[in-house]
Amino acid sequence: MDELRRFARELLLKKEVAAVIGYEQVGEARTRPVVITDPDECRRLVLNEYCLNNLVVYLNRARIKALARSKEGIRKLAVVAKPCDIRSIVALIQENQIRRENLMILSMNCHGVVRDFGCEFNGDNLAAKCISCNTQSSTYADKSFGEVREIPKFTGKLEYDLSEIEQLPPSKRMEFFREQFDKCIKCYACRAVCPLCYCQRCITDKTIPRWIESSSHSRGNFAWNIVRALHLSGRCTGCGECERACPMDIPLSLLNRKMAMKSKELFGYESGKSTDNPTLVGSYDQKDSDELFM
Amino acid sequence: MNNIYLPHLAEIKQIIEESPDTRTFRLAFRDRDTADRFTFNAGQFAEYSAFGDGESTFCIASSPTNREFIECSFKVYGKVTQSLQRLNTGDTIGIRGPYGNWFPLKELKGRNLLFIAGGIGMAPVRCVIENVLDWRDDYGSLTIIYGARSVNDIIYKDKVKEWKSRSDVKTVITVDPGGETSSWDGEVGFVPAVVEKTKPSSENTSVIMCGPPVMIKFTMPVLEKIGFSGSDIYTTLENRMKCGLGKCGRCNIGNVYVCKDGPVFTYEQIRNLPQEF
Amino acid sequence: MTEEKLILKEDLLRICDDVIKKGDTLLAPGKSEYVIVKDVSEIKLDPEALPTKISFKSYVFPKSEPVLYYKRSKNDVTLIDADVNGRKIVVLGAKPCDTGSIDIMKDLFNWDYRDEFFNLRAKHFIMIGMMCKTHDEYCFCTSVGCSPVSENGSDLFLIPLSDKEFALRIVTEKGREFIEPYFRFLCDADTKRTEEVLSAAKNPETAFDPDEVHEWLGRNFESPKWDGIGEVCLSCAQCAFACPVCHCFDIVDEDYSYSEGRRMKNWDGCQFGHFTLHASGHNPRDIQSKRYRQRINHKFRYYVDKFGKILCTGCGRCSRGCPVSIDIKEIVSNCKD
Repeated sequence: MDELRRFARELLLKKEVAAVIGYEQVGEARTRPVVITDPDECRRLVLNEYCLNNLVVYLNRARIKALARSKEGIRKLAVVAKPCDIRSIVALIQENQIRRENLMILSMNCHGVVRDFGCEFNGDNLAAKCISCNTQSSTYADKSFGEVREIPKFTGKLEYDLSEIEQLPPSKRMEFFREQFDKCIKCYACRAVCPLCYCQRCITDKTIPRWIESSSHSRGNFAWNIVRALHLSGRCTGCGECERACPMDIPLSLLNRKMAMKSKELFGYESGKSTDNPTLVGSYDQKDSDELFM
Repeated sequence: MNNIYLPHLAEIKQIIEESPDTRTFRLAFRDRDTADRFTFNAGQFAEYSAFGDGESTFCIASSPTNREFIECSFKVYGKVTQSLQRLNTGDTIGIRGPYGNWFPLKELKGRNLLFIAGGIGMAPVRCVIENVLDWRDDYGSLTIIYGARSVNDIIYKDKVKEWKSRSDVKTVITVDPGGETSSWDGEVGFVPAVVEKTKPSSENTSVIMCGPPVMIKFTMPVLEKIGFSGSDIYTTLENRMKCGLGKCGRCNIGNVYVCKDGPVFTYEQIRNLPQEF
Repeated sequence: MTEEKLILKEDLLRICDDVIKKGDTLLAPGKSEYVIVKDVSEIKLDPEALPTKISFKSYVFPKSEPVLYYKRSKNDVTLIDADVNGRKIVVLGAKPCDTGSIDIMKDLFNWDYRDEFFNLRAKHFIMIGMMCKTHDEYCFCTSVGCSPVSENGSDLFLIPLSDKEFALRIVTEKGREFIEPYFRFLCDADTKRTEEVLSAAKNPETAFDPDEVHEWLGRNFESPKWDGIGEVCLSCAQCAFACPVCHCFDIVDEDYSYSEGRRMKNWDGCQFGHFTLHASGHNPRDIQSKRYRQRINHKFRYYVDKFGKILCTGCGRCSRGCPVSIDIKEIVSNCKD
């Protein structure tokens, strides 16, 4: 952690980056994103099992982008990113949203994070995405901090099992999702935290014509949640932030994971794996499976 | 249950194409009772429904003394105004209102009035002018300064002609540089410059000014230089509204609900608000 | 004066059972929200539970409700008034930080124009509050004039004396009317024990003085503090929608066929960029720092000026649920020089 602070401070002092986006500790079992431009403030930075947010979301925020433009011609931003978060960076580079050369990626050798703030870090409370994680460090990082440690073995219980839901007959599956989506209050926290939901104007906010009803009744909720999942299919990197942010505990990851599985199964594509690949939705091959065309 | 969100229905009696992007609807309530009860003061606004697309907020542009019909003018910008534009005479729209406060015309009796309007800001000002002309003898001198982007963009052309023909009203019409035609006989220049050139007296005079923020911003110093104080200048704020009833929380500027405490404010009041409009 | 009685938990559940059998709605705190109780076995009545993730607000001010229906024919339009189902709703075991919320919103929904959609629902609420015996780092009810033992907004108020018994206070006439048919379940109060329990309440430490905050906000419309928050906040409406007293809404039309549709009143949030966006493209609160400033000012200054009440109950939901850990208590506590 001290190493990260020193390193980040140097970056700001040498004016290599305009700002460092990282985590600060706020309470025993909680961190908060922080945007640092003053080198001395780097002492606030932390790296631990409570660094839940995917900070990559900030790279596409107008305010943060403006920082990298306004400060003495420094184009670069430093971002603290877990190896799994780096997949979002890769996806954004693939989609031409950010430039690798304008980024300093500060990563960690990750041994898992908690499922939510306030929990003790142990096998019971391991975040779902960490259970079968195989990217404890990333080759895309400019520098990785911390030592490599094993991820605790998951001993908790997941509330929903994707394979069980897949087994349900279509009508039951529909019922399950309708019940879940009915809870939606359209706060759009899922959209706000998603690094890949970067549209300047989301389709739900478009009114001429209105594609998606803004009311949070069954129909409007269903439309929004399905559109969200579809717009992220072949793109979602599985950071799970949408599900964590949802105040109504809707298991949004189920759909995201299913779409990711389909992408892999049908096209052998995994989002956020390599900047050399074209995006799944942005490329076509005659050999592509046509199973999705009806 | 008394449903405050329920509009009255009105028929579009006439559509006037004011300019390429601005229309006026002449509206008559479907229900005779409503027509009899619907009274308002100059400066008040209403919520107009295009059923299927929603409601939009415009001032009432006709004079309160006109009991036959009401008129509203709108510029085609967003979803609802586009929808309204597609309507024809004989079609039905909804009207909720009147809402908000008004220009204190009773208190201004005996004073000279200077009207300054820019663009679609002419709509509320027209309502006041007509209302004042109804009671012409109660007021001193009347001066109208109205600016539009181009000759084509001048709205209420018939009214303008009528005001110009009156000897008891001084009417100055201006268009932005480049907006004039070869036969244009009015002024060419932006409103602030024209106000400066016209040099209206501030003696016993109140100003009623509506227009785009940029016009107001640059006309204010001119008026102050002439000698007007902030409490003599009335204008309207045009914040986004949905309910018009002081509930939905969209038009607030500080603790002021523009829909209820406004839309008419003196410049002095506006200066004391958080600068967030 | 408030009358106090003693009631056994099992008898209280019998009353609840009767409420359900009569077909009235019984609401109780569930896992993440207040849920409609179908069977009394679901009722927990846990005074040590933290507030649910969202309040019962949607039962008095629904997240989406029709205000009218329209039918278009060739030239004409027919309007049909929306009907409010003014059914009785009994809220059992509401936290003191929730019970007062309806009274706070009532002022807004009734100044001059009366929103009967809200009023009709509010009128049929029977609020059975319960003393709160817990708090976490996000609670600050005591800083906004509320407390774990506040009866404010409750018609009946429960004070848990043990796992099996409650002191029951009859706070309002409405509460008395509700409980009267069940008087046979009530025993004489043991006021000494009640006082002991009440005095052992775990008050969250006072974090700020709302008067000082009000004064500071008046002087600091322009403050670099807002910029810092604006950088971190992601502009969702979790805070507003979880809040028991946030009340902003949108009105939109929705066609459900070529000629028919309805006009909806939907929750809206001041943190959304398009909330104040004009059709012309102009936006008075165009950046997040301005929107967050509005949120804090509305709660701790504007609403106080307008209605004499703080638009906050100190429940801490907005902070607990914030995806980027923005803590309103911390921010308001720092509203000082």
